[in-house]
Parts: sequence; structure tokens; C-alpha cells
Amino acid sequence: MALAIKHSLATSLNTSHGRLRLVGILILTVFILAAIFAPLTTPYEPSARVCPSFQTPNSEHLLGCNDVGHDLFTEIVYGARVSLTIGVVVAIITTLIATIVALVSGFVGGWVDQFFMRIVDVVMAIPFLPLVIVLGVFLGAGLTTQVLVISLVMWAHPARELRSQVLAIRESGYVESSLAMGASQFTVMLRHILPEITPLIVPQFVRVAHNAILIEAALSFLGLGDPIQKSWGGILFYANARAAFLTGAWSYWVMPPGICIALVVVAFAFIGYSLGGKSGQIYYPFGSFTLKRRPSIDTGGANGRRLQIEQLTTLYSSSNETIKAVDEVNLGLHDCEIVGIVGESGSGKSTVAMSVLGLLKYPAAIASGRIYLGQVDLLDLDKPSLQQVRGKRLAFIPQSAMNTLNPVMTICDQVQEAILQQRDLNRDAAEERALKLLSMVELPDERAQAYPHELSGGMRQRVVTAIALANEPEVIIADEPTTGLDVLVQKEIIGLLIDLQRRLGISVMFITHDLPLVSSFADRMAVMYQGQIVDIDTPQQLARSADHAHTRDLFENFPRLQAPKRWQRSDANGNTMRELAPLLQLTNVSKTFHSRRRLDFKPVAPIRAVNQVSFKIFAGEVVGLIGGSGSGKTTLARLMMGLIDVDEGEISFDRREMHNLVRAERRAMLKDVHMVFQDPYQSMRNGMRVRDIVAEPLRIHGLRDAAEIEQRVTTALGEVQLPQSRQFLARRISELSGGQRQRVAFARAVVTNPRLIIADEPTSMLDVSLRMGLLQLMESLRANHNVGYLFITHDLALARHFCDRLVVLQHGTVVESGRTEQVIHQPAHPYTRALVNAVVDPAFTEPELAQQA
Amino acid sequence: MYLRIAAQYVLVLIVTLSINFALPRIAPGSPLLYLVGEDVATMTQAEQDQVLREFKLDRPIVEQFVNYAVGIVQGDLGVSVRYGMPVWDVLLDHLPWTLLLMGTSLLLSASAGTVIGVFAAWKQGGKHDIGALTLVLFLGSIPPFWVAMLLITFFSAQLGWLPSYGAYAIGVASGTPEYYVEVVRRMIMPISALALVNTGNMFLTARSSMAMALEEDYIMLAHAKGLRELTVVFKHGFRNALLPIYTNVMVSMGHLIGGAMVIETVFSYPGLGSTIYDSVLARDYNLLQGAFLLVTISVLAANFIADMGYPLLDPRVRRPGVSA
Repeated sequence: MALAIKHSLATSLNTSHGRLRLVGILILTVFILAAIFAPLTTPYEPSARVCPSFQTPNSEHLLGCNDVGHDLFTEIVYGARVSLTIGVVVAIITTLIATIVALVSGFVGGWVDQFFMRIVDVVMAIPFLPLVIVLGVFLGAGLTTQVLVISLVMWAHPARELRSQVLAIRESGYVESSLAMGASQFTVMLRHILPEITPLIVPQFVRVAHNAILIEAALSFLGLGDPIQKSWGGILFYANARAAFLTGAWSYWVMPPGICIALVVVAFAFIGYSLGGKSGQIYYPFGSFTLKRRPSIDTGGANGRRLQIEQLTTLYSSSNETIKAVDEVNLGLHDCEIVGIVGESGSGKSTVAMSVLGLLKYPAAIASGRIYLGQVDLLDLDKPSLQQVRGKRLAFIPQSAMNTLNPVMTICDQVQEAILQQRDLNRDAAEERALKLLSMVELPDERAQAYPHELSGGMRQRVVTAIALANEPEVIIADEPTTGLDVLVQKEIIGLLIDLQRRLGISVMFITHDLPLVSSFADRMAVMYQGQIVDIDTPQQLARSADHAHTRDLFENFPRLQAPKRWQRSDANGNTMRELAPLLQLTNVSKTFHSRRRLDFKPVAPIRAVNQVSFKIFAGEVVGLIGGSGSGKTTLARLMMGLIDVDEGEISFDRREMHNLVRAERRAMLKDVHMVFQDPYQSMRNGMRVRDIVAEPLRIHGLRDAAEIEQRVTTALGEVQLPQSRQFLARRISELSGGQRQRVAFARAVVTNPRLIIADEPTSMLDVSLRMGLLQLMESLRANHNVGYLFITHDLALARHFCDRLVVLQHGTVVESGRTEQVIHQPAHPYTRALVNAVVDPAFTEPELAQQA
Repeated sequence: MYLRIAAQYVLVLIVTLSINFALPRIAPGSPLLYLVGEDVATMTQAEQDQVLREFKLDRPIVEQFVNYAVGIVQGDLGVSVRYGMPVWDVLLDHLPWTLLLMGTSLLLSASAGTVIGVFAAWKQGGKHDIGALTLVLFLGSIPPFWVAMLLITFFSAQLGWLPSYGAYAIGVASGTPEYYVEVVRRMIMPISALALVNTGNMFLTARSSMAMALEEDYIMLAHAKGLRELTVVFKHGFRNALLPIYTNVMVSMGHLIGGAMVIETVFSYPGLGSTIYDSVLARDYNLLQGAFLLVTISVLAANFIADMGYPLLDPRVRRPGVSA
């Protein structure tokens, strides 16, 4: 998220787009005005013979006359009418067709989509100018023909572009949550897709107008234009037919129409580019510096430390503000030491890493400070010397190895490249070493010649680690190296990294948001908050007595597996619940996904995402659904919401089987079951106001009375402890923070008074300090309204505190279920045991790893 | 995947054939007008019926279509009214010249556009980048035929350096060195006009693909490895940007042939474009349809070759992965 903000800052800085657009609009305005007021700006009729043939320009005839004595200036001004009209009319027709096709095709999907897209492919494959000419010849020259045939060939491209946008929007979180609230396809199209697609239509319109004017010019130039109402292309046709370019007439007969076409088209091009073009980042290969080279003061280098950061300040500057992302940070790394840097999103921890590596992206820039590696200040190095340090003495393990490996090179080549850059080895020796490194990170030999896309996320992370180790560096900077990996894989990778670090004597700066994780192996931990390091000490010391309130907050707010259960709901109550009928019951539910492409005859094994799953949820009960990535948790949630259909088995809500319900009944049922999605940045559409978001389920279920809507929305906001003022109701959701957004999501959940809320990792996108607050909120909703929860999570420690019962899912199958304490303390299945063991609990794990150093 | 592409080509061909087949029958006026030309006005009713029977136009529409398709597969595109010879022969005479123009200008514009685009992306946001961008947007907005007219004005009419007409010198024996010199001299202007205007399109694709590649995380890792700047930009950046650039070259084939057609008319260059223009002026419908069909098939063939080459560039297509 922080990155997104940084990015938007960067793009708003780039004003060359704004200038291009302004020039484009100016040019267009001049031409449009001239065309509209043609009778006023020209003294003659376009078809009147007012002067001798080939009259050269004079004061009465600014651009002279053509062979039949028409005033050329008049022809040009009237030509603007024809050319611009065709351009604009074609653009209107085309964008209209394209939008309709895109909406229908993208939204209805299935064979309708296939049908339209095949037509689009065909239209786009036929060379369009020959097609237009053939059509033009048969249909007869004239304005209508031109508009018709140009539109006919031009709708396909914008239709395809817009359709892919519709598809993307359709997959978005807010459409899915709208459907999960029971909205019909048509409602979703009207309420979400159309408003979202509208700004994307404008650049398409401009692009079509741009092309249409060029095609019209070409057609008219070939004599297929209207012979009476001459466009600019038509004027050039006559000039060409009379070989005007071989005589002196070229300067006043050939030049002006061509210049007019070029100017109008370039105006459209400028506008189109500024609207649709991606505004570029500035590419800085060596990080951006606002820092001037300074005379080197001998401060004794790194003071015997491997890496010493002194008074580092890094700024993000935009035209309207400057943000101190890193604020006078001091940090030292001893030999063979692991220092963890912990912080929430936006605390500046990644910026520290990028500053040290010299990989800051524009508009971030180091403002002051020193970064010593041994005796040298990295900020004083010139490019070649910095290249010799990177990868050799200072290595980097990036986040999300998915995108950090070059997709078109084999992994062996990528490791080998790192070796060859810093060592004087021949190719064979380098390859041998690359293979050795890959086996060191426990990657199977036969995968060495694989491409990145052929490896799993965990394997890619191993490759990236091998690259970092290639030249046995002194310092490794690891930026969230295991984030996004499955818990069990994460544990393996960390184990491997620490093992190699100890063996090779490397110092590691380990950046993460995961405090329990890093406190289990770091020698020291630095806590970052608002760009500053607020605490630095051993994990044990910090856990016991931290100086800064934020640090204490962090330590108190993560759930510990061994601590007493935080939410102990009365057992007696639980027993009485059992005697009632369950709220939700799943019986042997299965779902298999098949490969969708029908023309593709490659056998793709069907994926059994959910396999014979059965469990119950009672009113007021919290059931945790636990599993790693790909275990089928989310598919199960989608099945329960009726977003996809069950293959086998049945789901019944309140003793009614879902597949027996007709559409209206099913929608009514969705009033009682609500789903809260993982990512509050995606499950609500950014342009909407808080009021409309919370009111959406009410409107879907047919409530129209504005006063009642307002009243219920206000009540719901009160329940989730958000402001109830008119100003807050009118605020756009994009102005709220992640924590507030997730509260709005819960307000939207409770506004219809549901009996069951399915919460899919509702806290995982939030910073640690906000998580407990949200859980407390969920608990109060439960206690006040007797809401049942299905709490989907991969975080076992969290589930232990919050849930009454747990269901553990692996590969779509329930491997274990039971009361929370029993599942956690006496896990029966090996997978559950592995999950329990993977949880790190810093205050209680006696630091076997951490104290070795 | 290949099956999908093949099915796509067959579909395009069928649609093209259908357009050709349907146009004379649904367009205003008698289909005879499109078969025998303006002479139809002087024919009696009996003669007209005679012709209709001769061309089997009195048969059911489905039978007509089958006959038409079979005829085309056998290479029978009818007779050109203007040239008085089979359409197929006329087209074969002219095709090589168009291929020569297209091929050379594509090569030129693709390489120039790519080189400038890649450098513009590398020096993104700088003075040269913005300058190149503005210039290229402007070049892409100029009608190619107008550029051609201006070139003739200056280099033929004013300076007299280059001939403005035809593809070869008349009266010079084919195969002699002078013949080839003349051919090259006559190629210069049409190719420059085409290449100049098309470079813009290539530049924009190259620039945006390269800019996107340079923002990827693997570029960051490449820098972190300590690789030299040139290695990072070309081995990692350009190698990946090449994929969309290649696709664009392949797609622009259809656009280029349109541009070539108009350019040829300005230079009276004896390629397919001039043929189409002549047949438009002479209302030689058979020739026009034949040329349209041939152009479509050429574009499809070019796309086919490009499709086949794609897996060589992209290992993800060559070896679909486990986690795709």
C-alpha cells in the first residue's frame, strides 16, 4: 500500500503529459471553432468559381485557387467540417458499439463472450484499409458510406480493450462482495461496472477519432470521398490527380490540407497519449541522490562493524509535500549478526534497505547520512565501484521471488551470471559453482535448467537466496523474504537461511512486518515507527521491557499460542446450543474445477478443490477454518455464499437446502449470511461514499425508504465504533485507512442483521496494532446479536484465541476438527501438528536459535 | 494453442470469402454490372439472362457459394476487365513489388523504432525522451501519402535527384546492373515515406514495453547482483521487452499493407496497391476482390510465421509451467 502511494506521488510529478494534453486541446479548439463558423471566416462559397485557375496566393485569396477556380482557403475551412465530422461521428458510433459489446461480452461471459470475441478477432485480422476500400467501392462514394465502413472496421479494437477492463472489474473484490450480498448481475453492471468503465472510454474515443480522420483522408485521397463535400483528403485527391506537386501549386494546394490533417491528428494523439499512456517513472539505475559529493571526513569508517548506517534520512518529494520516509536512522551490524527490522506498513523499513543498496526509485532520494560498509561510505562511491560492491560484499534477497527472477532465463544461468560478474572464472567453473549453490539451497539438481515459471514459490525463494550467496557476501539485506509463502514453506526457508548464515559467517539485515517470526531468530531487533528506529535490543529484552509505547503495543498485540485463551465463551451456553438445529450445515460437499479452454485439447487434470467436507455452525458460535494457501478455504467460502455451485453434497442454512432454493429465496437467505473479505482495499469500490457502501445490502434487498436507510446505516456505523456524523457518511472510502475500511466492511455486514458472518482472513491485511481491535469488535457483535462466525485464517495462534471450534483443511479435505483447545494441544493429524509447530511464540520459545551467537 | 490459431485463420478466410461473395449480390445495382462492367447498359434482356446463366447466377445461393469457393481454391479468381487477363496472373505480376516495399520498410521502421524507443525508455523523463516522444507522435499523425507527395515535390520536381514514377526504368534490360540501380533509386522515396510514418508506432510500443520491463523487480535484482548497466538494460530489460515488440511487428503487418497501398498510388508503383487503385478507378470488381483476398491471405501468412516463431522467444509458451 505504501508503495502504491509512493507510485502515485511519482506519477503526479510528471507534468509533460499535462502539457501535451493542453497543446492538443488548444489545437482542436481552434479547428473546431473555424469549422463551426466557416461561413463567417471565409468570404466565398466552397463551390463557387471565384478566381482564375491556379491563381497564386494574394491578399484576396490567401491560399490561391485550384484548377477550377475554387478558393483554396475556403475549401480548407469547409474541409475541416467534413474531416472533423467524420472523425467525431465515427468515434461516437464506434465507442458506443464497443462499450455495449464489451459490457455484454465481458459480463455475460460464456458462449456470448466467445462469439463476440471471435468476431473481434476476425475483424482485426482482416487488413482494414483494403476492406474499407472494397466496401467503399461497392457501396458507392459518399459521407454515409465512409462513416459506415470506417466504423465497421474500427469498433473491434476498443471493444477488446474495454472487454478486458470489464473482465478485470468483474473479478474485483467489490463486484464479488456485491454478488455475495445477493445483488443481481444487472444491478452489479449498473452500479459498479458502468461507473468504473466510464473514465476508460474517453481515451478509446480519442484514439478512434485519431485513426478515423487518418483513414478518411486515405479513402478520400483514393477518390472514395464525397465528390461534393470535399474533406482535406478529398482536396489532396484533386491535387494529386492534377499533379499539383510537380508544379508550383504544391506550396498552396498540397501543403495546407496535409498540415491541417497532421495538426488535428496530432492533437488527438497528444490528448489520447496523455489520457491513456502510462505516465512513466524515471529510471534511476543507481538510486536517486539529492546528496552532493562531500569531502570525505575520516570518522573511522564503520567502527569495527560490518555495516554502519549513520544519520540516514530519505525523502519522498512531490510538488506539494515532502515525506520523511527515513528520519535520521542509525544502525550497526556486527559480524555474523542477524538484525531484524520490524515495523508496520509505511514505517520506512523497506526504504532503509533500498537506501543501503542504492536501489531507491524516483522520487525517493537520500537527503543526508552515511552508510559505511567496512571502511568505505557507499554514498561516496561512483558507479563502477558500487557495482563491485553489490552482489559481492553486499547482497540482497527480495520479497516475492515470483517477479524477481527473469522469466526468460533459466535459473542456473541467473545464478551463474551473479558469479561471473564478480569472479574471474571460466563458464564451466561458474556453472559448476552455480549448481553447487543450488544444491546448497536444497534445490533438486534436475530443476537447475528450469525457467522460473516452472518452479513453486518456495523454490523460487531458494533460487533468490542462492543468488545472494553466490559470492559469499559480508552482508545480506533480506526484505520480507518469506512473505506470501505458505507457513510451512516459510519455516523451511528461514531455517535454511539461518543455517547458511551461521556457516558462512554473514551479517543479515532482516526486514519484516512479522514480529513473532523475526523475534525467534534475530540477535537484535530494531522497531521502526514513522521513519525512526524507536527501539533496538535483543528480542527477549524488548519483550520484557520496551522503551517505546509502539513496541509494547506490537508485543502485546500478537496472539501467543501458549498464553491463556483470550476469548473464553461459556461452555454451558455451548452445550445448550448443541441441542438446537445448526445454523449452517455442510454435508459431504465437493467441488472440482475443470480446465476451461475447450479448443485446447491438452489434458489438464481436474482439480478437486473441496473434497467431502462436512461441518456445522451453531448460532452465536465461532468456528475457525484453518489451512495453508491452496487448501480450499476460499473456495469453500464461495460455495457457502452461492457464488459458485456445489458439485456433490449439500449446504443447508437454517435447515433449508441451498440448491433447492429458487433465486429469490436464495437472495433472501443472503440477508442472513454475510461475507467479509480479506482485503478492505478491494472489497469496496474506491469512488463510493461510506453511506452508499453501508447501504448497499439494504438497497439490494429492496429497501427504498431514504430515512430508514439513513437511520440503519448510522446505527451500523455506531456498532462498529465509527463516527456517525453526516460528514463521515459523505466521505469517500478511498480517504479512509485500512483499519477504518475494514470497520466499514463490518458495518456493511451487520446492517442487515445477519445471523452468520463468513470472515475470510479479515485481519491479515491489517497492521498488527489494529488486529486486536477488530477482533474485539467482532466479539461484541457476536455477543450483542448472537451472530455466528466462520473465521477463515491461516494464523493458528489467532484462531486459537478467537474460535470455539476448529476445522483443519488440507488439499480440500478436512483432516481434523474439534474443540479449539483439543486441536491445538492434542493435534491428531500430522498436518495439524506441523502447523502448530510452525507457530513461533517468542516470549515462550526458549531461544535455542537466538542464543547461539 | 496451434489448433486455436488454425481455427482462427480458417474463420478469417471464410469471412473474407463471404464478404467477397456477398458484396456484388447485395450492393446496389445489378450483379451483372460487377461481372461485365459498364457494358451492361448496352445489353438486351436476353443477353443479360444469357450472361446470368453463363455465370450460374440463376442457381440457388448456396450452390453459388460452393461453386465460388471451389473456384477460388482452384485458383480461379475470374477475369480482370481492365487487363483482359486472369486476375490471378495480374496479381502475381504485382505482388513481388509490394512485398519488396513492405518488407524493406517494415525492417527499417521496426529496427529504427525499437532502437529509439528502447533508448527513450532507458532515459525516461529526460529531455531526449520527451523530444523523441513528441516528434514520433507528430510523425505518426502525418498521412503517409502526403509525405510521399512532399518527397516527390522536393526530390523529384525541385531537385531532380530521384525519379517519381514506377518501380524500374523502362527500356533497361532486366538483370543488368543498371536495372537494379534504377530499382533501388525508385524504392528510396516510397520506402522512406512508409518507414517514416510507421516508425512512430514501433517507437511507442518499444518505449512502453521497455519502460514496463525496466520497472520489473527482476531489474532491481539484476542491479543488486552488481551487473553492469548495459547488461541489466539489454540482457534483462530488452530481452523481456522484445516479446511485446515482436507481437506488435506482427500485428502491424495489416496496417502497413494499407499504408503501402496508398503510397504506391502516389508513386504509380506497380504493386498490389496500385492494382487496387486502378481497379477502383476502372470499377474492375474481379480484380479488386482478388486483390483483397490475396492481401488478406498474405497478412494471415505473415501472422502465421510470426506465431510459429513466438515460442522461440518465450520459454513460458514453449514450456508451459506447473503453476501457470
